[in-house]
Amino acid sequence: MTGSKILVALRIAAPTPRFFRAFTDEIGLWWQADGLFAFTPGPPGRLTFDPKGPEGRLIEEKPDGGRFEIGRILTWEAPPAPGTAGRLALTWRQASFAADQETRVSVAFDPVEDGTRVTVEHLGWDAIPISHAARHHFPDGIFLHRHGSFWRRQLAGLAAVSARR
Amino acid sequence: MDDPFRRPTFGSAVFYEDPFAALDWLEAAFGFERSLVVTDTDGNLAHSEMSFGDGYVMIGPIWTDGVASPRQTGGRNTQTVHVQLKDGIEAHHDRAVKAGAVITRPLERQFYGDLTYCARDPEGHVWSFGQTVAVVGRTEAEAASGLKIDGWFETGPE
Repeated sequence: MTGSKILVALRIAAPTPRFFRAFTDEIGLWWQADGLFAFTPGPPGRLTFDPKGPEGRLIEEKPDGGRFEIGRILTWEAPPAPGTAGRLALTWRQASFAADQETRVSVAFDPVEDGTRVTVEHLGWDAIPISHAARHHFPDGIFLHRHGSFWRRQLAGLAAVSARR
Repeated sequence: MDDPFRRPTFGSAVFYEDPFAALDWLEAAFGFERSLVVTDTDGNLAHSEMSFGDGYVMIGPIWTDGVASPRQTGGRNTQTVHVQLKDGIEAHHDRAVKAGAVITRPLERQFYGDLTYCARDPEGHVWSFGQTVAVVGRTEAEAASGLKIDGWFETGPE
């Protein structure tokens, strides 16, 4: 993993254990499919961690019953109690990536006075050449900025789900 | 639900020779928080935004000859970003001092009812901070300052 990195962070008014569960258990509720950064061709599916926990995978369940493995869990540290921190890390790939290509996502759930500060870091886009279909020929800075916006939309959806409960 | 990444109508961009160091320092000294940081393949900062309250500021590199850090201009500032706090300005001031901020105007009560201070960061940018602590009427403000004031808002602490 070399230079490129996207960091997106947000405060959400929910304690860290609740928010970790929202991120992992309820990802199918808040994840918004994105045409520009689709995991697989065809109609988008529903995301789920399966199984949940350190041995788990992040899976896209397609409407036709197919399953695509987006990534493997590298770190699964659920916050044990309110006021404690949690960590989640996983590999991340789209179907168009070559077998030896992957990126990495890490998520920090840090307690702050009014809830949780969640920080998503997405590393490793250096491994995917600008000419690759997944990058849409965007120059490096533009691509990374667009991908940052993509993560912001996801966290905004997560914030909305967390706020309703 | 409001967009949690909503940007207010105004936002400022501030330029640094070492923008990554600036992100760390602004977090430690002023409590600004990274909300978006884009690092390119060469490891350079491509874009960043920090949030504080309902405001935000962009922290950038010296990306063109048209921008400069005060470190490159003999310490001259061409703008100062003002940050209005709802509460806790004394603690904010102390945190900034502890992190190495140079206080260029001490924390003091202004005639218009705000507690304010100004601080210079490691590259020479000056930031000002204020918090309304008293409701001051126009007549009172004119008497205290010796100024004629138009457009006075009769506001106070929320």
